[in-house]
Amino acid sequence: MADGREQPGAPALSLQHASIAYGRSTVVEDVDGEVRPGSAVALIGPNGAGKSTLIKAVLGLVPVVAGRITVLGRTPAQARRHVGYVPQADTLDADFPVTVAQVVLMGRYRMIGWARPPAARDRRIAAEALAAVGLSDRARERFGTLSGGQRQRVLLARAIAQQPRLLLLDEPFNGVDAVSQDALLQALARLRAEGAAVVVSTHDLALAHVACDEVCLLNKHQFGFGPTGTTLVPELLRATYGGQALEVRGDSVIVAR
Amino acid sequence: MLTRLLVEPFDLPFMQRALVEALLLGVVAGVVSVFVLLRRLAFVSDALTHTVFPGVVIGYLVAATDGVVWGALAFALLSAVLFTVLSSGRRVTEDATLAMLLTGFFSLGVVLVSRRSSYTADLTTFLFGRILFVDSREIVETAVIGAVVLAVLLLVGKELVLRAFDPGAAAALGYRVAVLDLVLNVAVALVVVAAVKAVGTVLVIALLTVPGATARLLSARLPVVMALSVAVACLSGWVGLAVSYEASVDHGVRLASGGTVVLAMVACYTLALPAGAVAARWGRRRVVPAPDPYPRRTGVDEVSG
Repeated sequence: MADGREQPGAPALSLQHASIAYGRSTVVEDVDGEVRPGSAVALIGPNGAGKSTLIKAVLGLVPVVAGRITVLGRTPAQARRHVGYVPQADTLDADFPVTVAQVVLMGRYRMIGWARPPAARDRRIAAEALAAVGLSDRARERFGTLSGGQRQRVLLARAIAQQPRLLLLDEPFNGVDAVSQDALLQALARLRAEGAAVVVSTHDLALAHVACDEVCLLNKHQFGFGPTGTTLVPELLRATYGGQALEVRGDSVIVAR
Repeated sequence: MLTRLLVEPFDLPFMQRALVEALLLGVVAGVVSVFVLLRRLAFVSDALTHTVFPGVVIGYLVAATDGVVWGALAFALLSAVLFTVLSSGRRVTEDATLAMLLTGFFSLGVVLVSRRSSYTADLTTFLFGRILFVDSREIVETAVIGAVVLAVLLLVGKELVLRAFDPGAAAALGYRVAVLDLVLNVAVALVVVAAVKAVGTVLVIALLTVPGATARLLSARLPVVMALSVAVACLSGWVGLAVSYEASVDHGVRLASGGTVVLAMVACYTLALPAGAVAARWGRRRVVPAPDPYPRRTGVDEVSG
């Protein structure tokens, strides 16, 4: 297909000296790096660093004012169908009358199209996605009755149901219990094994170590982008967090939110 | 006894027409009010009912009764677009903007209608409707508008639910949220247009909010909520008309039909309050918010297959 597959080895996401602005104020400046299929990058930086803005730019929802962002070889807006987005679960109305199964099915809506109900195939894909996050037995319950961690897993299942080639997660581990965290990590590992690229914004440096092979250090501009082992180091973290970093015994860094 | 109260009044042709009109409105408003509930659009709907008012007056001044629908339609579409644009811009806080538009448009209508000699009578008609005087042409108008609204909601219903639940994800999937908002605002505006002759611009807000809110008290399942909402709206129309007839004819107490229909709706809501609380408690006991079952439990996979 002409619009279809990118050439093998091409990056899932390519940031070329990209600057992003909301209105007149530039929020993120000069971000440069690549995310290859099957790899995972942690976006690390303090609150207000522009992590969510960068994610929105990759979705094509805020404009890139300088440089370029390319998703699967296309513009962000053109690639949306193949990009899964997982928002923070606690931003959603817990009172909303939808079941878990309905939420997961929403990931299929673009493929289903207007005016049509979900087909058997869509339901099967959604059921598999829900199984991938270990919540098959909660399918018929109302979304809001689940715990915070479980809701986060349902939202990941919704993105998985979309069968994305690039997955963007905004602080998925905030306030998530250990069991749900394990389930999220397992599901992400499976997606990567199937060739999807993953970008996770997080405050949790330990999780970045476990879940991602690369990190992007961000606070208005980029302080580092590279392998976790060589980039997630005290000097760069101190630079990224500025006054918000606290030092302990000279070489380790504790990061304040 | 119950037959005499609920069936006999509708032997009369004007009562039959009123009932058909009430049931048509009940079906459309029942469905739309669920979306109003999901999007928390009660205040926007209220504003829309008021901004349609000058359209009703202008239509009436230009072409008498025939002009009402067209005037209402023009102002409904205009204000639906206006609200969508204003709420997406967020220049002014939405509340203040809506309040200004609501009172501004409404005053325009009042000023226009006050120039007529039959001021008070006209005003009352526009504000509270005259469901007992609808003719078959008005019923056809209601049916056509209602069919359009239902067709549109059938086309984009699941997308509207997604947008109401998670606007961020809807945008990320590539939906234009502003367009979806416009569609719903137009649907709400069309319900106002359809209902304006029967229940007036003030009472139509009840049709757009109470059925959905009542149904939500009784269920958390969207298809059930939808069905209950339609049932509540239709039942209230029927009972309201019957009661107002009974009171006026057999007991000499004049009850305005439109108002009685709305009161019947509010009565449904009041009855649903304790019923909903019982259902919720029963539901809580049934669904144990147990510790996370993952990965031990291997229950039956209910969505697969």
